[in-house]
Amino acid sequence: MATRLQFENSCDVGVFSKLTNAYCLVAIGGSENFYSAFESELADVIPVIKTSIAGTRIIGRLCAGNKKGLLVPHTTTDQELQHLRNSLPDQVVVQRIEEKLSALGNCIACNDHVALTHTDLDRETEEIIADVLGVEVFRQTIAGNILVGSYCSFSNWGGLVHSHTSIEDLDELSTLLQVPLVAGTINRGSDVIAAGMTVNDWTAFCGSDTTATELSVIESVFKLREAQPSAIVDEMRKSLIDSYV
Amino acid sequence: MRLEKCWFCSSTIYPGHGIQFVRNDAKIFRFCRSKCHKNFKMKRNPRKVKWTKAYRRLHGKDMTQDSTFEFERKRNRPERYDRNIAENTLKAIKKIDKIRSDRAYDHIKNRLKTGKIQRQKQARKQLEQDIHLVKAPLALAQDSSLHLPKITVNVSQTWTEENQPMEE
Repeated sequence: MATRLQFENSCDVGVFSKLTNAYCLVAIGGSENFYSAFESELADVIPVIKTSIAGTRIIGRLCAGNKKGLLVPHTTTDQELQHLRNSLPDQVVVQRIEEKLSALGNCIACNDHVALTHTDLDRETEEIIADVLGVEVFRQTIAGNILVGSYCSFSNWGGLVHSHTSIEDLDELSTLLQVPLVAGTINRGSDVIAAGMTVNDWTAFCGSDTTATELSVIESVFKLREAQPSAIVDEMRKSLIDSYV
Repeated sequence: MRLEKCWFCSSTIYPGHGIQFVRNDAKIFRFCRSKCHKNFKMKRNPRKVKWTKAYRRLHGKDMTQDSTFEFERKRNRPERYDRNIAENTLKAIKKIDKIRSDRAYDHIKNRLKTGKIQRQKQARKQLEQDIHLVKAPLALAQDSSLHLPKITVNVSQTWTEENQPMEE
């Protein structure tokens, strides 16, 4: 189910939050509305944690993670690192990386099985990603952009990429990631997908500017639309009714 | 808040002190005071500047390899907070610090030991040879402590015809 929300009047919810299958990180805002929106959806299922990274609120773009681990940049303070370690479940490995490209959320896009990274990432960082997140790492570009973490967003069921991605690129990425991909936009035509939305296997949160069309695309590609009873009955009707009188 | 090390002299930088310089390749240089910052801008190599820790370690003046240094590593994978562990760590920090500073002191003391013996030898030689720079010869003669005591030796010499000096 996709929810529309705002962080302090900004529609870039992917910048201020990080959602995975095992945890959710939320930035510290002036009001509690942003946090409450996440809590109401996810409270009983996964921990929702308020945090900052390097004293900033743009946590979604600075860190990268999946259900197995979380990678944070070297600018993260010791206190923040300890807070993350205390709040996250023990199965999640928290690791601070010494890397020149410190905005890991913009450089790494990952789900629980595979990750796409910036082409200029260090070899040691690539090894750490493979080790901590337990994923297979591919260096790729999306529509000519090296910041793969910003221009695509994918979960274990599907993915959304930059709208100008060519069909060949789309097929190539789809075979690499083993998920269906769709080229689309978010927040009324913005190409920076990951900044405008955050998604896991069963929910998605988008900026409030997202149009209904974009929302329906998201719900279909990420398989978020719950199985409606009418759909099942339609399929069963064919087998139940032999012929119409 | 984190206590960093100065890039040039390796001393600790406390909050509110020093300058941080970020180069275009995203490497961060932290300096404890303008002395180190200015030396860096002059492109001096800290390994060649005598008063820095880098020089002292490189030239064996200070202790380099010790197991106590392992405790001060930067750790990137934290562990869940445990009160007992935190308490024990705080006690251990004090102890380890004391052990490390004692070992460093011993290292320097051992290094300076050979010099002491040499200096004593040199001092004794100087006392024997150069004492005239300090005390006048007349005073030396009178003062018995500054030279070896004079021992009178009786030499017996028989007067023979040959030994007598020629009288002319």
